[in-house]
Amino acid sequence: MSVRGTRIPPHLRLPIAGVTPPPTEKEGQRLFPTGNFRFYRPVYRDKTPPCNNACPTGEQIQKYLDYVKHERYLDGYVTILEDNPMPSVTGRVCYHPCETACNRAAHDEPIGIRSVERFLGDYGLALPTNPIKETLPPLNGTTVAIVGSGPAGLACAYHLRRRGYASVIFEALEKPGGMLRAGIPAWHLPEQILDAEITKLTRLGGIEIRCGVRAGQDISWGELRSYPATFLALGQDVGRRLPVEGSEARGVIGALEFLREAGLGRPVKVGRQVLVIGGGNTASDAARSAIRLGGGEAIIASLESAGELLIVPEDLAQARNEGVAFAPNTSLVKVLSADGQVTGAVVCDARLGRDARGAVRPELVPGTEREVACDTVLIAIGQVQQLDWLPDHLSDRGVITADQHGRVEGNVFVGGDVMRGPSMVVDALGDGKRAARDIDRVLTAQALEPEPEPEVMPYEGLNAAYFRHAPRTEVPLTPAGERRRSQRVEVTLAYSREQAVAESDRCMSCGVCNGCDNCYIVCPDVSVMRDVRENGHYTIRTTYCKGCLVCVQECPTGCLEKVPEMDFDDPADVTRMETAFAPYDGAHAEQSAFTRQLIEDTIAEYDAARAAPAGNGKPAAQPNGDAG
Amino acid sequence: MYHELTVWSRGIIMDKEARDVSSCVAAAARALGYYADNVSDYVDDPDRTNCLVRRYARFGDSPIVDRFVYENPHPDWVVLVEETIIKAVNFLRGTPERAGVVVVNSVRDPHYLLKFLPDEMKAKMAKFVVVDAVGLAEQRERSPWMFVRNLSELAFDRMSTEGAEERLAIGLGIAAPLIGALTAVTGELPIDAVADQVADRDAMLRGAAKHAVVDFAAADGEPPRAADEQADEQPARADEAGRVPATPTARSTSAG
Repeated sequence: MSVRGTRIPPHLRLPIAGVTPPPTEKEGQRLFPTGNFRFYRPVYRDKTPPCNNACPTGEQIQKYLDYVKHERYLDGYVTILEDNPMPSVTGRVCYHPCETACNRAAHDEPIGIRSVERFLGDYGLALPTNPIKETLPPLNGTTVAIVGSGPAGLACAYHLRRRGYASVIFEALEKPGGMLRAGIPAWHLPEQILDAEITKLTRLGGIEIRCGVRAGQDISWGELRSYPATFLALGQDVGRRLPVEGSEARGVIGALEFLREAGLGRPVKVGRQVLVIGGGNTASDAARSAIRLGGGEAIIASLESAGELLIVPEDLAQARNEGVAFAPNTSLVKVLSADGQVTGAVVCDARLGRDARGAVRPELVPGTEREVACDTVLIAIGQVQQLDWLPDHLSDRGVITADQHGRVEGNVFVGGDVMRGPSMVVDALGDGKRAARDIDRVLTAQALEPEPEPEVMPYEGLNAAYFRHAPRTEVPLTPAGERRRSQRVEVTLAYSREQAVAESDRCMSCGVCNGCDNCYIVCPDVSVMRDVRENGHYTIRTTYCKGCLVCVQECPTGCLEKVPEMDFDDPADVTRMETAFAPYDGAHAEQSAFTRQLIEDTIAEYDAARAAPAGNGKPAAQPNGDAG
Repeated sequence: MYHELTVWSRGIIMDKEARDVSSCVAAAARALGYYADNVSDYVDDPDRTNCLVRRYARFGDSPIVDRFVYENPHPDWVVLVEETIIKAVNFLRGTPERAGVVVVNSVRDPHYLLKFLPDEMKAKMAKFVVVDAVGLAEQRERSPWMFVRNLSELAFDRMSTEGAEERLAIGLGIAAPLIGALTAVTGELPIDAVADQVADRDAMLRGAAKHAVVDFAAADGEPPRAADEQADEQPARADEAGRVPATPTARSTSAG
């Protein structure tokens, strides 16, 4: 039925939907402030992602992965530098607790965080200027003494510099770097990368490194204590001796000493049949270096069984590929020698036992002794530090004792291996960062406080349906045949720019808003407002949000939470309606006045039409239908 | 004697609770020989989930003349079935000064709830009553709220039943303690007479015995700000009302 020609009085023509703005418009939301439907309010609250929590330096991994994803490499690099002064180093040698903790492992495979870090670190080293330099405060005139230029000492100096303190680092060896140089082989961490990272730090100004100064010999405890504050980070560079018969023969070398000589570029002699005693990462590094230097073969004999080895999995796989042989559950009994030169060793079956204090007590199996031919024996069974120059009460079996803040006494702090025993580079970096913060606190008369317990986002808190399965970008490696011939060829290679972006894109941003816009899109009530598409730039229009919680349900990262509306206790925050549905008298009164006016106009029109045609005798125009 | 009861609730999901409160009060009044009305909500879009809805009851000892004005113009008894309504609406519109008895279902401290109310609303209140109806109601599975019940119950019993029979008994769940607290605090209707109309009589009597009252009428003349200032010192839960030293005066009403 056509309505053409049908006369509709103006007040019935009133397009109500047009006069009453729909709630999708701002004016409509003012008219119907349905915020009082709400029991729960969606709230953006970022949690700590597990990677960030696992990293001893507290790197904001989610944040820089997000920057890399958007190809904002400089922002990503500066983000790393907030916590870690040497991403090119850790990007190569870190044992990546972040990747171990990564929630993505529960989804498919963990993110290759270390490789992205290395990508950013190398990007930063290639920059003409250090972007952090212009953010540094001026020096405040206080100089802190740091013993050891390893990762802990360098990190402490860096973070002190960022707080305005100068520092002087005493290094026993002739080159700075500590274990980074003297413990980590060049095929893991090239010398020029380490040099570049250290130069980057010393160029910040205020960081002085004095090499060839050994604490206890060239500088006394008293001199160290005379500084306003002191950080002891001398590491553990004395390999444990293995007290077996024949161990004084030529060719029995501490693995640590072997790696140090090689790392400092001194001539090192190693045979073609190398027996490495130990089951940790030093044993692996020593065996692999020995293969490269001697061109022969290496066997790692460990008390640990094959499953108990303390070598990180990828190093283990690389070592196997390079031809390192393993003899698990084996103990060295005796070194055989002729003319003072090692000719072989006697080993036997054994099991790793520990005494009540946790110290290793091998359990040998008698009658299983056998002879192994070898010309070099590398001992990698742990390390200690020479600490007899310290007051007795400060050290215990090769480590310096400290309280929970790493405070030895007074303004003296300790960190790194010399506090915690052999541990990761990134542990030392974290200790340096914390020590710098705590030194700043004691020098400014603030109390030392433990860090608050973070709320870590579990995988279950994510909306996993939003993350499609994507395989991890495997990091490229130099072919085993090529790398086992050279001490210089890097084993692990870098991600390309595309690979780094693709890998960063796999990050699920656990518990942290990454501006994905999902809440903005799914909100059925146009109550999620967005100014800039970036972290934390969404707001909830609380006068209109009905608390349906679709956004909370659908938030991929779990950064949106529901909070009971009554927990918001600000009385000024209340949007109170005057009645249940008609929110403002004003709005409806305006509308009804308008409607009433239209009706009155219609009546007037009708009356006028009735009155007008009296003269010509024609009937009046019908108000509600076709005229005539 | 004449009272108007307005029950505020939320569309669909708590509609039955509100309906039961007004139904029981009106039925009890009628059984006692008063003139009584019990009216549903027609203007608030009560078919919208979570939307604010109202139920009206009124009773008195003389005939109710304006039968066609179904919204209570001057409610002196107000029940809020859910605590966020405190923030949501001016539920004391038309209430005479110092005449309103407000009963809220909440586990929170009365003074915490009161701080959301502007002074002009507080000026209309005689008594502010908080009852933990959820805790006092008969526990059904994890919670007496409807949210945990099945969809068929929702379909039959949560919708507006205008013109239809109730499928469940009247005065179940959290409605019962609310009726109890309202009856006990107002004191206009005998508790036993009201309890006869309530399906869950025990829960109704629990509500009558256990609630927190902030008595504005008794403390008239004191500035209402005094109530606010002590809010922080109040215990968080109001169900231990006997020991809540509320200001102006808070007391526990024991009845039954």
